[in-house]
Amino acid sequence: MDEVELKLQLERAHADCFGWAMACCGRDRDDAEEVLQTVYLTVLDGRARYDGRSTFRTWLFGVIRRTAASERRKAWLRGLLLEREVGIEKRGAGILAPNPFAPPDAEVEHESRRDGLSHALGRLAERQREVLQLVFYHDLTVEEAAAVMHVSVGSARTHYARGKANLAAMLGDAKEL
Amino acid sequence: MMDDSEIRQRFAQLREADQESAPSFAQTYVRTRARRSLRATRRVRALVIATAAAVVIAAIGLAYARSLSPPAATPEIATWRAPSDVLLRIPGSELLGEMPALGASVLDTMIPKPSNRGI
Repeated sequence: MDEVELKLQLERAHADCFGWAMACCGRDRDDAEEVLQTVYLTVLDGRARYDGRSTFRTWLFGVIRRTAASERRKAWLRGLLLEREVGIEKRGAGILAPNPFAPPDAEVEHESRRDGLSHALGRLAERQREVLQLVFYHDLTVEEAAAVMHVSVGSARTHYARGKANLAAMLGDAKEL
Repeated sequence: MMDDSEIRQRFAQLREADQESAPSFAQTYVRTRARRSLRATRRVRALVIATAAAVVIAAIGLAYARSLSPPAATPEIATWRAPSDVLLRIPGSELLGEMPALGASVLDTMIPKPSNRGI
């Protein structure tokens, strides 16, 4: 595959890739963007080659997952994790403050439902979160999700079932409250 | 308990929100290319610095090795003789330097033989 063809394929999968990068980076937009740039650089430089054994999207998702894990390790090594946690705390304080430009009620409810899902996903085990994201968000089959996650199909099915049960319980609890 | 369709619906809302906030491909691609050229510049810079460092280290090493090696004009210790050695020479030292032959006189060596002029 030449660079023009690669660029075209990347462009087609871009929106999906961003969503997956967000999931791999704990829904941090900046980290997701950086991971995506690194992935595009890796692919365009030929350091990651598509061998045609799976669909391009599945293969690309695997590259994104590995890159995000590697970036996480690097960040941890640099001690950035602590700084980020401080940043999250600050952002959290900002959310609690009253907003004079608050959106209408329907939008607030929409946002809270979305945040509820993000929060619940954040509380799930990593593999469970990944398989649910791949299946429900990206419409992949469990087999394809297993290929992205580099686990057996049986293992992916187990993570899927447990994850779904845990997520449903968490979202159900939140709904009752 | 929540069913699959409701979970799917929630994920669809999340996807919508992500797609709204996602940077465009062109934007990401431009940044990627900028990073690519920056990386290439950094690589060249690192190569230049490494080469310069290697040259400096080699020069220092060479200079140090030169300072350690003895100068070429210095004689070896086995062949060196002190200038005052001549003072240690005693009269008749030539007699002690070789084994005397049986029947020969010490005088043979000390007195030069007469020339055959008179015969």
